[in-house]
Amino acid sequence: MLLDRDDWYGVAHDLEWSLSYVEHEDAFPDAWTGSNGIPREAWRAWEEPFRVSYRDYVAVQREKEAGVAGVRDALKRSRVYQNLHPSFAAVSHLHMGATCMIEQMAVMMLGRFARFAPSPRWRNISVFGMLDEIRHAQLDLLFSHDLLKYDSRFDWCQKAFHSNEWAIIAIRSFCDDWMLDTNCIDAALAVNLTFEHGFTNMQFVALAADAMEAGDVGFSNLLSSIQTDEARHAQQGFPTLEVLMKHDPERAQRVLDVSFWRSFRLFQAMTGPAMDYYTPLDRRTMSFKEFMLEWVVDQHERTLRDYGLKRPWYWDTFLQSLEHGHHALHLGMWFWRPTLFWKPSAGVSKVERRWLNDKYPSWEDSWGVLWDEIIQNVNHGRMAQTLPETLPALCNLTQLPIGTHLDRHHLECVTREHHGRMYYFDSEVSKWCFEQEPERYAGHLNVVDRFVAGLIQPADLSGVLQWMGLTPDVMGDDAVDYSWARDYLPDAQSAG
Amino acid sequence: MDTGNSEELRRPPLKTWSAFGNLGRRPSEYEIVTHQMNHTLRDKPLEIGPDRHGNRWLVRHRDAAKFAVKDWDGFRDPDQLTYRKYVTSQDNSETYLDAVLQEFDQLGRAETAPDFLQACLTPSRYLAHGLQMMSAYLQQLAPSAYVGNCAAFQTADHLRRVQRVAYRTKQLDRTYPGRSFGTTERRAWEQAPAWQGLRKGIERLLVAFDWDDAFVGLNLVVKPLADELTLRQFAVAARHLNTELDALVADNLFLDAERSRRWSAALTRFAIAEDSVNLGRLHTLIAKWRPLADEIVETGSRLSEAFLPGLNSSDQIAAAAVGAWRSFLEEAGLQA
Repeated sequence: MLLDRDDWYGVAHDLEWSLSYVEHEDAFPDAWTGSNGIPREAWRAWEEPFRVSYRDYVAVQREKEAGVAGVRDALKRSRVYQNLHPSFAAVSHLHMGATCMIEQMAVMMLGRFARFAPSPRWRNISVFGMLDEIRHAQLDLLFSHDLLKYDSRFDWCQKAFHSNEWAIIAIRSFCDDWMLDTNCIDAALAVNLTFEHGFTNMQFVALAADAMEAGDVGFSNLLSSIQTDEARHAQQGFPTLEVLMKHDPERAQRVLDVSFWRSFRLFQAMTGPAMDYYTPLDRRTMSFKEFMLEWVVDQHERTLRDYGLKRPWYWDTFLQSLEHGHHALHLGMWFWRPTLFWKPSAGVSKVERRWLNDKYPSWEDSWGVLWDEIIQNVNHGRMAQTLPETLPALCNLTQLPIGTHLDRHHLECVTREHHGRMYYFDSEVSKWCFEQEPERYAGHLNVVDRFVAGLIQPADLSGVLQWMGLTPDVMGDDAVDYSWARDYLPDAQSAG
Repeated sequence: MDTGNSEELRRPPLKTWSAFGNLGRRPSEYEIVTHQMNHTLRDKPLEIGPDRHGNRWLVRHRDAAKFAVKDWDGFRDPDQLTYRKYVTSQDNSETYLDAVLQEFDQLGRAETAPDFLQACLTPSRYLAHGLQMMSAYLQQLAPSAYVGNCAAFQTADHLRRVQRVAYRTKQLDRTYPGRSFGTTERRAWEQAPAWQGLRKGIERLLVAFDWDDAFVGLNLVVKPLADELTLRQFAVAARHLNTELDALVADNLFLDAERSRRWSAALTRFAIAEDSVNLGRLHTLIAKWRPLADEIVETGSRLSEAFLPGLNSSDQIAAAAVGAWRSFLEEAGLQA
């Protein structure tokens, strides 16, 4: 007789045996499983959030690949990219550079689950995740490679994570930490459940919607196709949380709270500006804050509630930061634009500014005044004053500039001494994260620490740019050659 | 400050990744999606404190390996597998197996060898899971994505095997409800003497953390011997016992085993060509696994012996398995 998947599925996951030629603890060390304090039997309760057979997987994925290959061919023949608004092109440079290697890193993380996870069901399901992530990395690389001839910034899809570019270091510091250094249990909570299920969901779905609106059909299709896999394997965090809640709920709360804040700060830097400043105004579907509230905040609160966890203690700070932080980061990134491998769009023409004030009522008070200064300088030809001479102070936890988590009136630095070294933080929350496990972060040097220690030579901004690997052909400049500032010339008619 | 942006337009457009340098030809699609896709190959592999567990692990178990070349990104998988090629070829294989199962079902063939299958086939899901775990370990420790991706696909090959064995196990359970197919395998895997060499091999691998030791132990010793005994020699026995269906499934799964051998042999040949010292290093590692290899052959060759009286003795099975293993090692530029 022929069988359905559910007939044999249980047998395929009944794979635990008692090791007798080596010690179980040696073969499955706590440092990788993360199972310390949780009895081995507890993992029998780990139930797959979805079922898939290898047979169905390769059939479905083969079809998906054929679909995306078709889009890619069409894209090569069309002039979609050449016709794309330059500020939206920046979104694709930033996205490809920032995410492609994360996909390949995820293969390694899921490989770790497939080897060390404390449940055979979890180990098996991770194998599909490994394949998915290879797919995503390879699709990003192929699409970017096709576009190289139009813009060498797509070289950074492959190259970014080999460079010392500061934004990439910030991403690496989160991903290397939580994906490649952390045990399976904490990684599943931080990466699958928080980073993927929450934040990348927004990056892929929301950005795909904006890309579709902006006319970048290929990019939109690519993101949507990838998201169909992500939505599946991001589920792995839930059964892990369920087991952990029975045995160590405090640990679950701590891992979620730390990883939520760190993920949020990264997405403020990468997705916030892309949505609220780079995407052309008439193509924006929602603001970053609205996307966050709808896609991330509601969902995260629901997860916490469903599993009997509390909101993070910093929830009020988080909501305030949601109002401000990405505006601060955007302003900083635009000002330090030579340190980027994409061309940031200022996004503050008069009409765009009205949109910002509409979406963020306190925007003018916090950021308008600073942009006015830049506008004055641009319009008077004082370009040197719109460009940096030094480095910004950076947080020892998030690696992001200090003074970027709230409004203009809260730029203070938070400090803490640990074993004779002073650490600097962008917020009380980042300091709290550090304090949960100081040794986790204490040995790391951020870009400014390395500069001060003389590890970057010559010790000036040009030396830093060289160290970051920023060549003139990719170095960031204003996306539209400052045309938006002409809006503010005395005799200008508003572009809106 | 002068950022030099005026030079932007002077550079000719890139034809491929700058990471290829002066390649002198257009890279293949396989190279485009694989080249330098491991970002941890640096002094401090991870962007965290140098003394953290993850950094120490990679430095000790990967970067300190004596089996080394200047640049593992020079290695190429002879199959040039990409994700798209992998799912396409495996979908073809799975479609073939579905057709085989369907045909046997339509012909209404009765099961012929439940004792043999309960002893030799259904416990192999544990073996395949062990090989799967170890392949995943090779992936995460691999010193290049050219190596790591091969290991990732090899990991998935074993999940395929686990699921196909589970499928047959359940079919047999439905046919013979009194035999408890599906629940007797763990005991066989843990206690049946003929499985113990293989189980010991898997468990020893689970504590082999140095990547070169794990690679040699898994892909040059335990896995090729396991595949010879539990796929190729299994298929021979299955044919004798008229369970052609299981022989065909094993034949097809053996295609995955052959792919593993192709890239493993290419890897050792590449490493020896890059630095002849690697020949000695590989032989030292093989010598370390040699006693276990003997034990695997000695016990594993007895798996089907009882079911083939007067046909295939364990000595013949052992000789065939070792012969095939030696040929593979010769392909790899080595000697057993």
